[in-house]
Amino acid sequence: MATDALKRQIAGKWQNSFARLNRDQEGIVGLLVFSEAWTLATEFLHPRDLNDPAANKDWDMSQVRVAVETLSRSKMLPLLLENFLEDMRKQQHLITRDVQQYISQYEEAEDIHHIARLIYRLLEWYRAWVPISELGHTILSAYTLTFQTHVYSILPPSFSRGFKQLVNATFEIGMSPIAPPWLPPTPPALQSLVPAPRPDLPLWGAFEQLGLLDRNESLISSVCYEHIEAHILGTCARRWSERMLQPMREWMTNKIVPWMVMPYARGARSAEEARSMLQGVGSRFDFHVCKTLSDLRTREIFDIIIDFPDSQPALEDLKECLQRVDQRSQLVQTLRKANRKRLLHPGADTKDILTQYVSIIRCLRLVDPPGVLLFKVADPIRRYLRERPDTIRCIVASLVGDGESGDSLVDENEPIQPLQQIQVEDYTDPSWEPEPIDAGPDFRTNKPSDVISTLVSIYDSKDLFVRELQVLLAQRLLAITDGNFDRERRNIEILKIRFGEAALQVCEVMLRDMTESKRIDQHVQSQKNMILHPTIISRHFWPPLQAGKFVMPGQFKQIQDDYAQEFHAFKQDKKLRWLPHLGTIHLEIELQDRTVPADVPPLEAAFIELFSEKDTWTVDELIARVGSVDRPAALKALATWVDMGVVKEGAPNQYILLEVAEDAATHPRPTRMVEEAPAVLTVEQQQADQMKVFWKFIEGMLRNLGTLPLDRIQTMLKFAPNYDRTIEQLGAFMEAARREGMVTVSGGMWKLSRA
Amino acid sequence: MKVHVKNWHGIAQWRWDTGHSDMDDDGEGDVCGICRVPYEGCCPSCKMPGDDCPLIWGECSHVFHMHCLLQWIATSASKQQCPMDRRPWVTAERKANRDDNAAR
Repeated sequence: MATDALKRQIAGKWQNSFARLNRDQEGIVGLLVFSEAWTLATEFLHPRDLNDPAANKDWDMSQVRVAVETLSRSKMLPLLLENFLEDMRKQQHLITRDVQQYISQYEEAEDIHHIARLIYRLLEWYRAWVPISELGHTILSAYTLTFQTHVYSILPPSFSRGFKQLVNATFEIGMSPIAPPWLPPTPPALQSLVPAPRPDLPLWGAFEQLGLLDRNESLISSVCYEHIEAHILGTCARRWSERMLQPMREWMTNKIVPWMVMPYARGARSAEEARSMLQGVGSRFDFHVCKTLSDLRTREIFDIIIDFPDSQPALEDLKECLQRVDQRSQLVQTLRKANRKRLLHPGADTKDILTQYVSIIRCLRLVDPPGVLLFKVADPIRRYLRERPDTIRCIVASLVGDGESGDSLVDENEPIQPLQQIQVEDYTDPSWEPEPIDAGPDFRTNKPSDVISTLVSIYDSKDLFVRELQVLLAQRLLAITDGNFDRERRNIEILKIRFGEAALQVCEVMLRDMTESKRIDQHVQSQKNMILHPTIISRHFWPPLQAGKFVMPGQFKQIQDDYAQEFHAFKQDKKLRWLPHLGTIHLEIELQDRTVPADVPPLEAAFIELFSEKDTWTVDELIARVGSVDRPAALKALATWVDMGVVKEGAPNQYILLEVAEDAATHPRPTRMVEEAPAVLTVEQQQADQMKVFWKFIEGMLRNLGTLPLDRIQTMLKFAPNYDRTIEQLGAFMEAARREGMVTVSGGMWKLSRA
Repeated sequence: MKVHVKNWHGIAQWRWDTGHSDMDDDGEGDVCGICRVPYEGCCPSCKMPGDDCPLIWGECSHVFHMHCLLQWIATSASKQQCPMDRRPWVTAERKANRDDNAAR
């Protein structure tokens, strides 16, 4: 159905094409030349099989060039490209076969050697098929694209793994020119005239030519990250006694940067160029170094604090890292968690908690001078410490340098300064700085790191400390027998600076009582030589002492009376009242066959004195003679003598003096630990005693009013003198009373139980 | 058997000999009628008890911190009277009547 027009059109096209191919040559000479050139060019470009040596023939490059020139003039290059790509597609199975072979070898042996060989082999294929440059840029890029598309499409997932291992292995090479065994010999195509500074340099060249670098950039950097991480963890973990950040950065410069040049600065011609190319990626890696180190130190922070001050370098590292990496909140969270898990539980000693708290204060001050981190971390510790019953005692004990515990919480070198009150910010101060941005709403700066002020500020009032201090001081002073209390005086002087003169006035009186006693004793001894050297105290200024009233028998009574009389003669207006149960007596018991020396409390002395009247006593007789002594105390006193082999238990409750020592084997009584009852009531005991008074009030209230809710009881008790308990304390007390069966509670209403 | 006491470290409290103190063995003791602080404590202007803040005994048998009483006597409102019974204040001679007081 060809119309004329169509025919004409086709004829025109034909003429055009012919003219183009023939290039105005005579007859069909041009066409023939073109046809020859086409054949030559396509044959030249045809992708060869590398395994077939026959396919590899020598080409006369000048002829090829002429042919290409011819084709180019005929504008047939696009067609040639299409043809070439089609040929490639037909030959691709050759590459596929090779790849599969290498990969299966690798999967079998897990040896990256095969991956390296695969890379080189792929490069060989690429090189063999690459069209000559005369064909132009377009054809080259089209070729590369097609080649890479194919290669990537056939590489199995295991290649990624192998590639990663391969990249990782290149870290090990370092600067040594000796190639590791896994690196196959560089194929001739990649050998350059200049010997490569690193044996893996050709490999990186191959990576680049195959486009593996661009495609796997994230993989390569992740390998690098992992390498850095592994190195830091391996080198720095638990090494806190030296700075690690700087050595790590040096390690980066010496070991990682030369490596980085290969993937990231390949094209660099000069050192400066390389440097500028590496800048971005370098700072990324530097950030990673900081982050890894700060993560590591954050994880270790609790133990670092335990090791302080040996671990100070680690904290300085952390400080520097935190400036680069914002991990502050992680640090706080980790430390809070560690504290909760390892510190703030009933198994930990209050002393240890305080020690760790002080270390935390010191450490975090180092890491973060404004104290924001410290404030956040310290809060739970402080709240916990407030609930512990013996916190104050521990703090006070360390304040006065408890001899037995060795290290004190307070650094000896720290200047002694008064307790600091919360400072109001002085906005007129020219060097005023706003609070850090991550400070919480109730953040308070307490300026210098005075540990004692911080510890005392756990509690709202320092009176508690002073009371506890008084008890502690009393215990120590009463235990002193040689009249040397310089240490206590020094302690009090130091504490005066901290707590202020007024607060420690009571302690001052106690110390004066000590000197006064010494003076009085000197006078009394000059009048009449006596073996009794008492400490005479001013009541109202000493904490309540253990109550105890008994009468010393025999010569003891005589000695006491003599002394009291001498005292009265010396101080006309004053009298002495003995606290017979306190103090110690050094005596010697002269028995028929032996003499027993002993240092004993007064009750023991009283009992043994009674034994000089007769040899056999029952416990009740003994108690009746000395007055009001409770039975356990009496038994304890007798046990002391039994242990010394001076008396023995005859019939139950009957004790017999041993004038002649009995064989030790006949009374194998285990030496029992005689626990020294402290002479001074502790603060808790004082409170418990006080509560007994308040119980009377509560009892009266409930008897008169029937049932009462807790807050009513609290309100009414507030009218009682000296009542300072919180409703929580009252609740705990009522709960204790309920357990004792004295009250019952239902629906929040308390009532007396029917007796 | 014989017990030889070699050395005895005892503890004692001192009390003012106010003449009527034996009733309160355990209690807080008598207080100064002016400042309401126990005799063995010290008056509000003192810091150290005992010899630094002594008592003063009146013929009327009332006893005060010396500093408290002197301050009271110094005021014109006192008319030199004992604040307890409004009798003219006469300081007792201690040494002479000590045994009497003790016996009472």
